[in-house]
Amino acid sequence: MYFLTTQDINDLARELQKTHAVYGPQVNAQTGQVFFDLLAESDLPDLEAAIPSMPVKEILFPQMERILKYSYDTQAQSVTLEKQYGEKLKVLFGLRPCDLAGIQCLDRFFLGQEFVDDVYLAHRRQSILITNTCTRPWDQCFCVCTHTGPAADEGFDLDLTRLDDGYLVQVGSEKGQALADTHGWATAERRRLAEKAAVVDRCVERFPDQAKDNKAWISRAMNRITTGFVKHEIWEYIGQQCFECGACSFVCPSCSCFNIEDVTLCGDSCERLRTRDSCSFSGYTRMAGDHNPRAPVEDRRNKRFFCKLSYTQSKKYLRPGCVGCGRCQLVCPGDIGLPNVVQYIRRETTE
Amino acid sequence: MTHSQHHSEACRDTGRCPIVTFPEVVNIDEIKDEAPEVKTFYLSFLNPEVAPYFRIKSGQFIMCTVFGAGEFAVSLPPSPEHDRLHITVRSVGKVTDALHALRPGDKLGVRGPFGNGFPFATIKGKNIVYVAGGIGLIPLRSSIVHALQHRQDFGRIILLYGARSAGDLLYQADIEEWKKIDGFESFITIDRPEPGWQGQVGYVPNLIEKAKVPVEDTVAFVCGPPVMFNAVIAQLLKRGMSEDDIISTLERQMKCGIGKCQHCAIGRTLVCTDGPVYTYHQIKTLGEVI
Repeated sequence: MYFLTTQDINDLARELQKTHAVYGPQVNAQTGQVFFDLLAESDLPDLEAAIPSMPVKEILFPQMERILKYSYDTQAQSVTLEKQYGEKLKVLFGLRPCDLAGIQCLDRFFLGQEFVDDVYLAHRRQSILITNTCTRPWDQCFCVCTHTGPAADEGFDLDLTRLDDGYLVQVGSEKGQALADTHGWATAERRRLAEKAAVVDRCVERFPDQAKDNKAWISRAMNRITTGFVKHEIWEYIGQQCFECGACSFVCPSCSCFNIEDVTLCGDSCERLRTRDSCSFSGYTRMAGDHNPRAPVEDRRNKRFFCKLSYTQSKKYLRPGCVGCGRCQLVCPGDIGLPNVVQYIRRETTE
Repeated sequence: MTHSQHHSEACRDTGRCPIVTFPEVVNIDEIKDEAPEVKTFYLSFLNPEVAPYFRIKSGQFIMCTVFGAGEFAVSLPPSPEHDRLHITVRSVGKVTDALHALRPGDKLGVRGPFGNGFPFATIKGKNIVYVAGGIGLIPLRSSIVHALQHRQDFGRIILLYGARSAGDLLYQADIEEWKKIDGFESFITIDRPEPGWQGQVGYVPNLIEKAKVPVEDTVAFVCGPPVMFNAVIAQLLKRGMSEDDIISTLERQMKCGIGKCQHCAIGRTLVCTDGPVYTYHQIKTLGEVI
């Protein structure tokens, strides 16, 4: 446990930039939107910025990624293949606890099952995660319902908390300890923990009543979804609201579905792209020969909430699939972001 | 690149070490016309180091790359022992059409083998009834050959197989070979009578009655189009077979084969890692219509 000034934090970011690709939150001057992007040499992470518009998973599980390149010669009947994914040292500087929870979901899913996903592992192996405790909620936030914020408990390498006169830095891994040891930071006094607790409490108090109130309803919705107690009419209603745009999946920190496609570059040269996919798309389950086992839209919608909230699915993440970032609620044109779906289930149950 | 680099370094110790991410190149040694729009491709690995590691279980599948077109999931018809590596594919879409246009000597990419395979460890001593319709025989071939290679381990081995016409029957030379094996019973039917056809005419479910399919100490491996599948299941259940003894293999769109892309999810199961082989009881309780 260390105590650093803002200057120390900036120095750390600059120093890491020498050896790592450093990603951090930045406010777009024109739109005011926050993006978690690769920082230019002159830039520093903006630790006061709001929750980023897109989840931080973009860096570890990009929207589109080339994993293989090959060229074939039809005349000589030969082919050469080249692996394209690789390891690059990177730092995620100042990610919000909800995004960290999303990465933990992806870790457990991509690395913790029967097979390990090589492509994700290559991204993840040499990345350093530095979290930033939220001192206030934003409009869409409901992490108090999913136990993913406003402060991170585990899974980070270093955890920063903004206090009145500097940053409390907590270490969460050997990687983080190594960073602390090389810098000889000043040890934080015990009172700093109480100060952090006060910051977190003040943040929780500022959440709207509805978010605090919904806490028990997330687990009750999980129970009802798992046991199949949600009426089919509710799923139909949710299905009718769905525009099938896939936005919820793309902004969700824990959504991990992907598609693989071989794209011809020129002539006999091809690249294999791994792109994110969404279970709301009608082509998601369509097989060769046009048979589609999951055609109706409510089947597909129901599947997403089943994936996020049922106990059986949660086993693969060791927690609910929802991390309470509220991005799906913000982007959904049909008003069926996850908190709303919980509301619908709640309304049905209480009526 | 050496063999070990091709394999996932993090491949869990599950007694098998498939090719996970980076495809291995195979040569198409021979192409055989099996039926209209169905061809069998005989394959061999370019890198001789790979072949000994590529150990399959009956009922597993591979992800096959047609260079320039894409990758598709296809079941493995060869037996785990003493059989040539091959795949049998009907051209039904963009990638399989491109595959059918290839010549011997062309190359393919292979990842796998993936999937659970048929539960041979638990069915020793039992009768096995294979019920297949059309290209449904492809995923069953491996286990038929395997069972016949270990003939003494099983009771009766019965094949009920049907196709639209005599020309649509797959593996006809194989079936002739199998018939020579003592205790192999086969009942083959085509949908409509045609000149020169001496055998049964009618649909596959009717064969169950004709073959006097046993129920005690018996497992049924069923694979075919949904209409046939449902009718066969109904017949078998009516005869008193338990839902746990009816075993089938499912297919879904797949992109990764290792349980990550989620395209093959049915309810709470993933066909690529939990399947593709399921008992009828499991199929009924997956939590989603199949």
